[in-house]
Amino acid sequence: MIKEKKWFPVIYMFLVTALLSSIVIGFTQFTSNRVEANRKLAFEKAVLAVLPGLSDEKEKATGLQLHLRFAEKVNEPDDYSAGAYTLIGSGKIIAYALPISGRGFWAPIKGIIGIEADRKTITAIAFYQQNETPGLGAEITKPEFRDQFKGKVMRMGEKLLSLERPGTKLDKNSVHALTGATQTSTRLETIINDALKKWQQQLGDGLDRN
Amino acid sequence: MNIETEMSQAFVVCISAIFTQNILLSYFLGLCPFIGVSREIKTAFGLGLAVIFVMTSTSLLNWLAYHYVLEPLGLHFFRFILFIIIIAAFVQFIEMVIDRYSPTLYQNLGVFLPLITVNCAILGASLFMVIRDYSFIVTIGYGLGSGIGWFLAIIAMAGIRQRLSNERIPQGLQGAGITLIIAGIMALAFIGFTGVLQ
Amino acid sequence: MQSAKQKVIVEGLWHNNPVFRQVLGICSTLAVTNLVLNTVVMCVALIFTLSLSAASVSVLRKLTPRNIRMMVETLIIAFYVIIVDVLLKAYWPEMSSNLGPYVGLIITNCIVMGRCEAYGNSNPPSLAFLDGLFNALGYSFVLLIIATFREVLGMGTFLGFSVPYFSGPNWDKWIVMVMPPGAFFMLAVVTWIFRSVQSRKEQS
Repeated sequence: MIKEKKWFPVIYMFLVTALLSSIVIGFTQFTSNRVEANRKLAFEKAVLAVLPGLSDEKEKATGLQLHLRFAEKVNEPDDYSAGAYTLIGSGKIIAYALPISGRGFWAPIKGIIGIEADRKTITAIAFYQQNETPGLGAEITKPEFRDQFKGKVMRMGEKLLSLERPGTKLDKNSVHALTGATQTSTRLETIINDALKKWQQQLGDGLDRN
Repeated sequence: MNIETEMSQAFVVCISAIFTQNILLSYFLGLCPFIGVSREIKTAFGLGLAVIFVMTSTSLLNWLAYHYVLEPLGLHFFRFILFIIIIAAFVQFIEMVIDRYSPTLYQNLGVFLPLITVNCAILGASLFMVIRDYSFIVTIGYGLGSGIGWFLAIIAMAGIRQRLSNERIPQGLQGAGITLIIAGIMALAFIGFTGVLQ
Repeated sequence: MQSAKQKVIVEGLWHNNPVFRQVLGICSTLAVTNLVLNTVVMCVALIFTLSLSAASVSVLRKLTPRNIRMMVETLIIAFYVIIVDVLLKAYWPEMSSNLGPYVGLIITNCIVMGRCEAYGNSNPPSLAFLDGLFNALGYSFVLLIIATFREVLGMGTFLGFSVPYFSGPNWDKWIVMVMPPGAFFMLAVVTWIFRSVQSRKEQS
């Protein structure tokens, strides 16, 4: 009986693996364009969300419209923006959109933080990738949390922006963290501060060069 | 990163995996055997030790497989399948080794090994290791810490349940029910550990 | 005399319910049930995976050598889970990012492996499919009950829509319901209630 031969299990495993893998690979290839387009759109949507005047929470723009708007209005990062995307008007930079990323509780959190031309005031924050606990850490994507950032100012010194415990009094450099999601909040604070500090440093270097 | 910073990072990761980010009480992985096998301290002890051993070893094996086989070939999404195969094969192999060289050890520990293959914590640890991009040395700390954390949780649970074995528990709550309530209280307690490590 | 099909249905949904009877597959449960919408998607993924995996294992059961059967089962389960994951990423990316870690963990969900091992290995494909389907449905309805309580009590919403009394100022949201301990407690309560009902029915 073939089944009893010693080599049968190995060949069988190999065949089953090969069959299933090829179907999976085929499937992945088939959808990979869509997946990639979705990913890119999420990124562009986040950038548009933090640059002033480029998006409205209530509007129902299609993916294509958003993509075209991004291509038209947003400028790629260059030496003067230290890695941030920019919105330019009348020849001057109106606002920056800086990508931020780092480790969350479950998986990497990736987002965009918007900064005004004064390089200190925050316009908004948006996320395009996160896998935090739904209802807890994942609330960072909700307007209730994100709206807090509008108008906040980076302070001088170690911690540019802080996430304080809910219930404590806030000042212009802090926002409330998420109730019940301490780990996500702590990590987000680190991600934001690391990115902003690095950006300020690189900006400073860029200015010195002139 | 030099060896010293890596080792200190490994140490921090290890401690946090035991307390503040316990793979069972914070990430919910490995619950089925936790509820099923935590009736007595003796059996929990055996299973816990086996988990520590398998978790550490498979995390390292999977690290090697991911970084030296999958990454160069660009087959990242294969990690689910490959990791499970490695875990199952490793457990099978260990079972054979133990059975051959120490029948007494097999009597005590061997029966738990098939249970470990389906312990989601083992696979979960390897998946997190990939997502968080840990280096080899840090993975040692992480695998060990996660295993010890799981061990700690199941021992504590067994200790509590053994104490409760003489109490009168409503019939509907016996077994799984009361275990879940204890688990909930333990999870609440462990939340208190957050903030110990920044 | 119940037909085999009827037996499978009743067992999966009630007598041998995966959640409150077998107490299997809890890991994914606890993490996902704080929002009803996520639970629904997760359950659909599980129904798809469990029924098709059980059927596939059953189709291959006469060919598969005994000593590698668990690995083959795992391969089959992983296959279906990856398909679900890829489909979500392509056609519903926001949900995919919400469920991220948990969709992959369906692979080690003890129910899927458990049913494949216990039933899929020794029964014909159509019965195995039904067994997987009804176990998954039995799992789903219990999870939805838990999720409903957790979302309403903990966040004051249901499927994202505000619920009249619970989202108003008079209700102090039970945050613990949204956090891990709340899941443990809810699951314990649900297990208690259903088991009590079951034993009373069996006594009468």
